[in-house]
Amino acid sequence: MFEFVLKRVLQAIPVLWIVITVAFLFVHAAPGGPFSQERAVPPEVLKALNERYKLDQPLLIQYSDYLRNLARGDLGPSFKYPGRTVSEIILAGMPVTFELGFYALLVALAVGIGAGILAATRPNTMRDYLPMSLAMVGICLPTYVLGPLLVLFFGIRLEWLPVSGWGYLPGDKILPSMTLGLAYAAYVARLCRGGMLEILSQDFIRTARAKGLPETTVIYKHALRGGLQPVVSFLGPALAGLLGGSFVIETLFQIPGLGRYYVQAAFNRDYTLVLGTTIFFSTLILVFNLLADIATVWLNPRLRQEDGARA
Amino acid sequence: MRSESNVEVGRQKQILHFGNGDEPQGLDPTIVTGIPEWHIIQALFEGLVAKDPATLEIRPGVAESWTISGDQKIYTFRLRREARWSDGDPVTAGDFVFTWKRALIPTLGNPYAYMFNCIRGAKTFFEGRNPDFGQVGVKALDDRTLQVELETPTPYFLQLLDHHSYYPVQKKTIEKFGAVDEPNMRWTRPENIVGNGPFTLKEWILNRVVIVEKNPLYWDAARVKLWQIYFYPIPNASTEERMFRAQQLHVTDRVPADKLAVYRENDPDSLHVTPYLGTYFYRLNSNVKPLDDVRVRRALAMSIDRRQLVEKIAKGGQQPAYTLTPPNTAGYTSYAKLPHDAQKAQELLAEAGYPGGRGFPRLELMYNTDELHRKVATAIQQMWKKSLNIDITLLSQDWKVFMDRETHLHYQMSRGSWIGDYLDPTTFLDMFIAGSGNNRTGWSNPRYDELLKQATRTGDREERYALLRAAEAILVEEAPIIPLYTYTQMRLISTDLRGWDHNVLDQHPFKYLYLEAPREAERKIERH
Amino acid sequence: MPEQPAGVAAMPGREAMHSPSLWRDAGLRLARNRLAMIGLIVLAFMVVLALLTPWIAPYSYEAQDLELGPVAPAPAHWLGTDIFGRDLLTRILYGSRVSLAVGFLATAVALTIGVLWGACAGYIGGGADAVMMRIVDILYALPFTIFIILLMVVFGQNILLLFFAIGAVEWLTMARIVRGQVLSVRHQEYIEAAVTMGLSRWQIIRRHVIPNVLGPVIVYTTLTIPNVILLESFLSFLGLGVQPPASSWGVLIAYGVETMEEYPWLLFFPAATLSLALFSLNFLGDGLRDALDPRASKD
Repeated sequence: MFEFVLKRVLQAIPVLWIVITVAFLFVHAAPGGPFSQERAVPPEVLKALNERYKLDQPLLIQYSDYLRNLARGDLGPSFKYPGRTVSEIILAGMPVTFELGFYALLVALAVGIGAGILAATRPNTMRDYLPMSLAMVGICLPTYVLGPLLVLFFGIRLEWLPVSGWGYLPGDKILPSMTLGLAYAAYVARLCRGGMLEILSQDFIRTARAKGLPETTVIYKHALRGGLQPVVSFLGPALAGLLGGSFVIETLFQIPGLGRYYVQAAFNRDYTLVLGTTIFFSTLILVFNLLADIATVWLNPRLRQEDGARA
Repeated sequence: MRSESNVEVGRQKQILHFGNGDEPQGLDPTIVTGIPEWHIIQALFEGLVAKDPATLEIRPGVAESWTISGDQKIYTFRLRREARWSDGDPVTAGDFVFTWKRALIPTLGNPYAYMFNCIRGAKTFFEGRNPDFGQVGVKALDDRTLQVELETPTPYFLQLLDHHSYYPVQKKTIEKFGAVDEPNMRWTRPENIVGNGPFTLKEWILNRVVIVEKNPLYWDAARVKLWQIYFYPIPNASTEERMFRAQQLHVTDRVPADKLAVYRENDPDSLHVTPYLGTYFYRLNSNVKPLDDVRVRRALAMSIDRRQLVEKIAKGGQQPAYTLTPPNTAGYTSYAKLPHDAQKAQELLAEAGYPGGRGFPRLELMYNTDELHRKVATAIQQMWKKSLNIDITLLSQDWKVFMDRETHLHYQMSRGSWIGDYLDPTTFLDMFIAGSGNNRTGWSNPRYDELLKQATRTGDREERYALLRAAEAILVEEAPIIPLYTYTQMRLISTDLRGWDHNVLDQHPFKYLYLEAPREAERKIERH
Repeated sequence: MPEQPAGVAAMPGREAMHSPSLWRDAGLRLARNRLAMIGLIVLAFMVVLALLTPWIAPYSYEAQDLELGPVAPAPAHWLGTDIFGRDLLTRILYGSRVSLAVGFLATAVALTIGVLWGACAGYIGGGADAVMMRIVDILYALPFTIFIILLMVVFGQNILLLFFAIGAVEWLTMARIVRGQVLSVRHQEYIEAAVTMGLSRWQIIRRHVIPNVLGPVIVYTTLTIPNVILLESFLSFLGLGVQPPASSWGVLIAYGVETMEEYPWLLFFPAATLSLALFSLNFLGDGLRDALDPRASKD
């Protein structure tokens, strides 16, 4: 097990390096620089700024400088927010983004597993179709539609919940977590249904039923652990997706997380911030994929023998 | 149920909740350029003079009085004894000399350096042609006397002093957190910053809120009634409107166009739509065929129905514009006009060799990605199709690509807008001088440049305006740009907010504002 | 945008599906699945409408009537008009052409790259396999929202690029699935038997590998199309979708959200259309999976 983890961690380093290189080339290839704006910037000023941030150097030098600083853990200053370093911006947004992702995941799991179990116990009946259809609302309505709808209903019409913010007013975390979580509930529901169906058709479940165990015991004690396996291997990519996809939610609900920077930095040509957030999110994706793989192996002892190759 | 709203608590404690558009890049008054920064800086700093929010007349600020020489070239300011930095030090004439020198150091990279061009020697110093600041016309005669010498008479010079790039910064503080010419803005962190305005910076949570609190050392502190102001960065207009409805904000940065009618109907007291010193227009690249033909440009300009555009698309009480400078800018109005006349437009297009639009190449109209720009462009695309029978491709570009292409004249037609920096027609007309970085149309006209130059030499207002009108007539007739409408400022404002006066510069000094529940009679109306 | 669950990759396809009768069985199972059949019918109906749009659309999709402006659904305009006075029904019809085209074409791109990549990696194996799958890992780790935004920014917006960009992102999971299938088939006894029987490599691929891989690929394809359609709508929300006056479901929804309280029909009808399409595709995909994988549907 340790060897497997170590191998994966070592593999991640060249992967990250390539990601950084690709992202570096991309941002620098995009037209426009970090300093262009509507009121024309005098050429003298542009020159001074480019010199200050070493943007007048050949790209290769900029690249090696960046890597050297990165090796020391220095992500550089932000271009758009000259008073702040990229690390500072990431550290400020990270807890918020994590928290949002975590709550959203809870929503996705609660709704998705609930619907999945209901559906799997009576497949191809109304008890299958109805929960599955409800769980699918989240993917049929894009978050930028679902979010405002929920706000208008619970925030404005009923006045139950705040319409924006994150930890400023009691209850303001509910609507954003729901909006983001529901987008994933359908996937969880489908995976859970599939996994449960497969387990429920296996012999040991038949034996358990034949022994006259109550259906709830069969499902929750015997079937669930194996049935959730596809859901668990989905958790890694899902959590990474939740964190990276929080951009829309953060904008709609005024949440000071990283997703907003992540997209805005690309639009602002804030080179260092784009690279910094890219590194951050890429690392997250790698880590969560690894964790999901470890969890899968742990849940399924049979796989421990194999070489751990995915897919 | 929801707890007490921001608006209610705010009213009791004099805390203003202000929708501020975007996250400020920094708070160094010398180098920032954005509106969100400008709002906060207005609370934290003060210039030599200030403006009356209702009339925009010049009022004393740090300077209690001033004299102007007969040739209007030498200004002498007397600074008030009570003017203090927030650390207790007095604000001196030397502070202004330091600030303005720093603003002009080329390596600082101050985008607003051109605002100082009217001061003698400032331009040559900035361009590095003269490294000696002693030759620039700014001198501290003593701690409380500042003398400024101008290049030419500049009737709007006092107004410039109320622009944030002229606001003083403290030498001691800046040098503590970096080199003088380093635009790092670390000194503007809450724990570091020293200002001289009615408020001080209390807290700044990235992407969430900037909080300022009343400054007890401010010379006019007795007048300041607000205790705190919360500035929220809210980039999404719909989110902001919902926050206003949920009583989380007193003032919004804008109003979504389609919400205007709803508020006019249900809550007219909260809706504030007022004229704003800005023009929305299209640039036509005069270097490319067929836009190099003035007849084509005029045909395009004359086939746009501006009335429909403002009434059906923009919807915010904007005025159709036929000139670049908004009407009655400091008493200046241009009467030049290319009126909406589809028939004449068709004739012009035929004369240019495209009768009935035949053979007209497919042009591209570029705009930066935005809901309103998209709507305006979509409407105009159809207007041209209908009246000239020509096809236009719309191209939405992200802001940086847009600017890059426009700057390099790598476009055919593009959306533009300009907000006046100060109340004078030249803030608009200077854009289209040959070689100006803001021109970006490839168009130039020596006569136009000459008229503007002549206007700088005269101190007489009527004579000056006559020259400017003649210049603007050339711009309108040759149509390198198509003015579309004059901006309005649209905000939702809580009926609790008092002391908010409207003006075309959209300046609302926070020291005059306070919060108070509407009187009973007003409340009744509100309920209906 | 949610990524496609990696779990589909784990879908069983261990039984050889190379006999025609198994395909017929699968078809019968699908036909018995009511939801999947409804999905199939709705989808077919939408495709036919989209193809016939230029002949059946009641109005022009671009001609404006600014004086008319936005009107609620009425006999003259069944689904109402937008702020430019354009008929919404017409715009939805034209929009479905774009959205369905994006959905099918981008999926086709993903399918082509993914299947070729995965099949090569799985079949060649060894070092080539390792390198190819590392590349897939790298692309997985690239935050792809930014990737697409950068792509649109660098190369400008056009619909072909949109297909390509989306397809370029969506092929990764496909490659993994195909590789997994190929690997599992390669070591089966009947393949080895076929080799000893002297069948050529191509014959083996055609008779044994392709039929086995086909099932999971079909299933995953029906699940990719809705993903792609959603992605297009997300790009429209960012203002990076198709340009006016063209319309797509994503664009119509993104515009409709702006005025959801004032002119609710501008959101409701496009969103309902999109939902219907996504529901249909998902149910069809689920049905296909159940049909092609007999063990999973047993209860």
